[in-house]
Amino acid sequence: MTTKINQWLDERTSWRKVWEVIFLRKIPKVNWFYTLGSASLFVAVNQAITGILLTIYYVPTPDHAYDSVQYITTQVPLGWLIRGLHHWGASAMIVLVVLHMLRVILFGAYKYPREVTWFTGVILLLVVIGFGFTGYLLPWDQKAFWATTVGTRIAGTPPLIGDYLMRIIRGGSDISAVTLVRFFGTHVWVLPSVLFLLIGIHLYLVIRNGISAVPTRGK
Amino acid sequence: MNETKELSRRNFIQTAIWGIGGLIGIGFGVPAIAYVVGPSIKSQQTKTWMRLGPTSKVELGNPTLFSFTVQTQTGWIQNSQEISVYVLSTDGRTYIAMSNICTHLGCHIRWISDQNHFFCPCHNGVFDISGNVVSGPPPRPLTRYDVKVENGQLFILVGG
Repeated sequence: MTTKINQWLDERTSWRKVWEVIFLRKIPKVNWFYTLGSASLFVAVNQAITGILLTIYYVPTPDHAYDSVQYITTQVPLGWLIRGLHHWGASAMIVLVVLHMLRVILFGAYKYPREVTWFTGVILLLVVIGFGFTGYLLPWDQKAFWATTVGTRIAGTPPLIGDYLMRIIRGGSDISAVTLVRFFGTHVWVLPSVLFLLIGIHLYLVIRNGISAVPTRGK
Repeated sequence: MNETKELSRRNFIQTAIWGIGGLIGIGFGVPAIAYVVGPSIKSQQTKTWMRLGPTSKVELGNPTLFSFTVQTQTGWIQNSQEISVYVLSTDGRTYIAMSNICTHLGCHIRWISDQNHFFCPCHNGVFDISGNVVSGPPPRPLTRYDVKVENGQLFILVGG
């Protein structure tokens, strides 16, 4: 039965070919450091799932943000788990993408013909940091407020454009409801769109170029 | 095709991947369902007798509107909700209390004394003086509350 359905689908979609290209491609002999990219992807999916779940209760306004987060953590069944996965996943994400980057640097995997994969990886790193920065404000507690005060002040340090930059990020001169909502919008719409587009390109290139072998002395 | 299947390295890894993947899927899926539906199936507040006011306020033979507010907790927000009830008495001794919520789709009905009927503005539901459906889409009579009278004060049983 399943074979019949698979056959029917394959005739119309060639999914077997796609499956082979993605999962049954030939790879060189590699080691555990080569799993850091997949680990990052796994945590990114975790962040997406738990993040979507959090938006079911979270309200991004100054009078509800803190209370709705407390509600998730203390009242909603397993809310502590969903929030905890998102919270710790965020830290794991930063650690994993940095380790992934170090592996690519140390193994020379950024070299020809994989430069574009590297470029997209650099932007992905910035996007992940952007996720961390915007997400940090959302619980709207003291730590969030002052961390964002400091963070946006740092954005305000460059000469000439600094003050404008800080005002644009804050949506005004102070951290306010406007700041909270734009951080939320950036965190759940802008950055995820960019992230998934870039992950798509990044993975396409990984498959297109194959993965690099472990470098050997004298080669 | 009846040869005994021997567990090759490839088969083992494949089974392990699907197995672990399935476990991870369950690990996300089950908490996600509990998380989403949890607050929806929380039990309601307990039943309480709510004081409407003095029985003398009820006009004989004319449904009289009583309103009171109850404190409710929805999510993390405390709010006060106004509840309105029509009380009818024909003899000054027995009272019936009817909800002002239309049994069709929940709009608020209103007593129009000129026409001697309750009317719902949403889909033209019409109820008679004791809450029975006269015309329109409502599937059943207006909901009634249990009533008691103590020291000339009307009480109805709400909640639950």
